[in-house]
Parts: sequence; C-alpha cells; structure tokens
Amino acid sequence: MAYQLYRNTTLGNSLQESLDELIQTQQITPQLALQVLLQFDKAINTALANRVRNRVNFRGSLNTYRFCDNVWTFVLNDVEFREVTDLVKVDKVKIVPNCFCSLVGHTTECTLAVWPCLQMFLNSLTLISSDL
Amino acid sequence: MASSANSNQVPNLYRSVIEDVIGEVRELFLDEGVDEQVLMELKTLWENKLMQSKAVEGFHTDEQKALQAQQQQAQQVQQTQTQTQPQQILLPSAQQPTQQQVIVQDSKILHHMSATGMSAAATAATLALPAGVAPFQQLITPQGQILQVVRAANGAQYFIQPQQQMVLQQQVLPHMQPGGVQVLTPLQGGLSQQTGVIIQPQQIVLTGNKVPQNTQVMQATAMTVQPEQGAAHVQAQPQPQPQAQAPQQQPQQQPQQQQASQQPPMVLQVDGAGDTSSEEDEEEDEYDEDEDEDKEKDGGEDGQVEEEPLNSGDDVSDEEDQELFDTENVVVCQYDKIHRSKNKWKFHLKDGIMNLNGRDYVFSKAIGDAEW
Repeated sequence: MAYQLYRNTTLGNSLQESLDELIQTQQITPQLALQVLLQFDKAINTALANRVRNRVNFRGSLNTYRFCDNVWTFVLNDVEFREVTDLVKVDKVKIVPNCFCSLVGHTTECTLAVWPCLQMFLNSLTLISSDL
Repeated sequence: MASSANSNQVPNLYRSVIEDVIGEVRELFLDEGVDEQVLMELKTLWENKLMQSKAVEGFHTDEQKALQAQQQQAQQVQQTQTQTQPQQILLPSAQQPTQQQVIVQDSKILHHMSATGMSAAATAATLALPAGVAPFQQLITPQGQILQVVRAANGAQYFIQPQQQMVLQQQVLPHMQPGGVQVLTPLQGGLSQQTGVIIQPQQIVLTGNKVPQNTQVMQATAMTVQPEQGAAHVQAQPQPQPQAQAPQQQPQQQPQQQQASQQPPMVLQVDGAGDTSSEEDEEEDEYDEDEDEDKEKDGGEDGQVEEEPLNSGDDVSDEEDQELFDTENVVVCQYDKIHRSKNKWKFHLKDGIMNLNGRDYVFSKAIGDAEW
C-alpha cells in the first residue's frame, strides 16, 4: 500500500483523467481504473524514492498552517526554491506533506501538539452516540 | 546545471513511471479481457495530457501525435496540386530521433535536407502540398522545443514538434504559401528509413529524422514563414514544383521567401491562445534569439535562469505563465520533520513533486524555513 498523495500531481491527474475518459467510453471498468491507480501509486513512490536524488532548499514566509488528519498543509508566500544552480520564486505555494503514519498508523514521530481535527470530531460523535 | 538537470530529470522520471505502470497493468488489462489497444490508448492519452500541460515535455507523445495527425491528413488530403507527389512517408518515429518538420511550399519545394545529402531522398519523399496548411501557433515546451500548431486549410490542426535538435525548426510558418504547405524534409539516409510524416496538401509533413541541419531547416522555415495574415487559406496552386528545387534549398530559401511573400497573402488564423502573428514575426526574424530564450527558460545561464523562473508578483513576470497557467504552486511530498519554535518553522521534507509556475520539479529532500 503506497501513498496516494501523488495522484494530485500533473502525472497523477493526467492519468486519472485518461482513465476517466476510458471509463466514459466504457472501454475499461472503474474497477480496472482503480487497479491502475494503485499501480501508479506504487510506481511513483518507488521512482521517487529510488530514482530521484537531489536536494532543494526553500525559504519564505508562512501564511497559514493546517494539520488535520495527520496531513499538514502550509501556505507560504514569497518563496524561493533553490537547487544547486536553479532558483524558482513563487509568490504563493501550498505544501502538503504527508505523514508516514497516515498509512501505517501512529508513530511517535507523528505525535504533534495539534490534534487531528477529524479525530476530535469522531471522538465527539462517539461520546454523543454513547449517551443515547 | 541543476535547473536543467532537474528539468532533464523530470521527463525521464515521468517516462519511466509511465512505462512501469503500463507494463504492470498490462496483465490486469488482459485479465479483465480488455484489449491491448485500450492500454495503448491509455498510454497515449496520458502522454498527451502531460504534453499539453507543458509541465514537462514528452517525446513519445509528440511523435505519436504527429503520426496520428499525419495519418488523418493522409486520408483527407486531396491532391490539388499537380506537383504534389503522392508520397506520404510515414515513418514511425523512434522515440529518440529528432523530428524535423517538413515543410513544403506548394509553389516551391523546400528541401532543406539537401545540405546533408538527404535532399534527394527528401525531395522524393516530400511532397505533400497541402492546400492550406499553415502553422500558426507555436508553443514552447519547457525544454525549448517548439510545438507548432499547424492549421491546415481544412481546419485540422496538428502539432508538430521536432524533437531535440529540431528546436530550431519550430518556427511557425504563419503562412503557408498559397496552395501549399511548406514541408521541410529532414530525412536522412533515405526516405524509407526516416521517420517522418508527409502530408499532402492540407497535411503537415513531419519527419522524424535526425537532422544535423537544423539550422538549415530553420532557415528554410524562416524563409517560408510569412507573417502575413490570418487564416491559413492556402490556395492550391497547381504549380508543379520540380524536385530540382530541392538542391536550391538554402540559397533559395530567401528568394523563395520573397517570392512567397509576393504571393497572395494567406489568411492566417490566429488561435486565441496565442499571438501567432507577432510570434511568427519575431520568430522569423529571430530564430536564434528565440531558441536562446527557450534554452534560457529551461535553465540555461545562471543570470538568465534567475530572470525566467522568477515569477513573483513584484518582478517582471512571464505573461504566458500568468495567463496560461494561473497555477496554484503545489508541493506534494512526505515529511521527515516539521519543527516550530515560536513563529519560526522548519521543514524537513522528502520525496516530493512540485509544480511551480506551471512546471514540474522533483526532489528527494527539501529543507525550508519560514516565519509565520
């Protein structure tokens, strides 16, 4: 089971769109499309882990931060991304780092000061239902 | 350079991912009883979308697309010109061969290949004089390759993307000379062996052979390009173009261009997304400059690199990026550690894919600082 977070990338989105088109023309089943996506998840995770070997630094100002359901979302402004000789500046960027424990389960590294919002919501539901 | 390294890395990475995925799901497809054809279609669709996104360049896509376009054209083309040689050379483009655009002027056949000796073969091979093919738009891929959107008289649009060396060729031919399509045939080593597409009138011929003569081709293209107007109405002109023109090539390109300009102006249809006429004008005159610019965009020299990718609101921004992309720059990755101290945040990220200013980047590690 690999992370599905790479589905929302150019590569992942184009694959999903292509699969959707094939589903609409009934050339493949949604089931098969799902299998393809799962395969994609594996492939992209492996590729990134093994085939990419470069480092990037960045600096900017943090506009907002959110941590919900073990997923952080940051919005930064006026960011400079720096690679060895490259420099990319953007005025607004959203970073969505996914935590390793989102699939495996909680680990100590993932314990953070902020409670996952979803978890709190679920907790509250449980309390309510138990009263009934 | 790192930037170019990254931009070189990304397409290869994507391509390898695509190959992996397609390879893995082949079995799944067969198990479900789905035809291999559908799998190929999936791959094509996928690559096409990647190419269209302009976040990355995809060689496969272009070739396939060119071939498809060519095939379509072949069916539709009516040979109105006497000189039209009913030769359509469809050469399966190998994945890596450079593609060259073949542009044939209806009234004149430009054979740029002659310089390399291919002209003879090229001449023989090319002649598709499309009645109204006129490239009217060029898109520049991240790696500086120019995609030409050629609009045939019959309204079909084709993307011509020369690979690699062909960047130079990209000059959009804003005007097909009336009655003809300008086809450059950079065929090397014989037609049959060349990969290319030759489109008869109303077709665009693409050849996928590697042509060390890019410059020549470009010149030819430049020559033929006439930034005149509007829609590409190429009036078929039954002007027999002797293949003898092929040898003329470069020396004649300019005179040809002049002649072409004298011909009835073609209405060039400008796609709303692109300001083709101006681009074409510039391109005609400044092929080299454009090429250089493209290369710089990809991260050529340091000084240039800083200018191009800079797209913050305060800086001189690339209009294209803003207009066309309007991207929300997103980074999708995993994190090793997120640390905060008062309002100082530190990020330790890994294995990420970024889409910045419309382009894709990847990293294995990223470290960042931000203040809230």
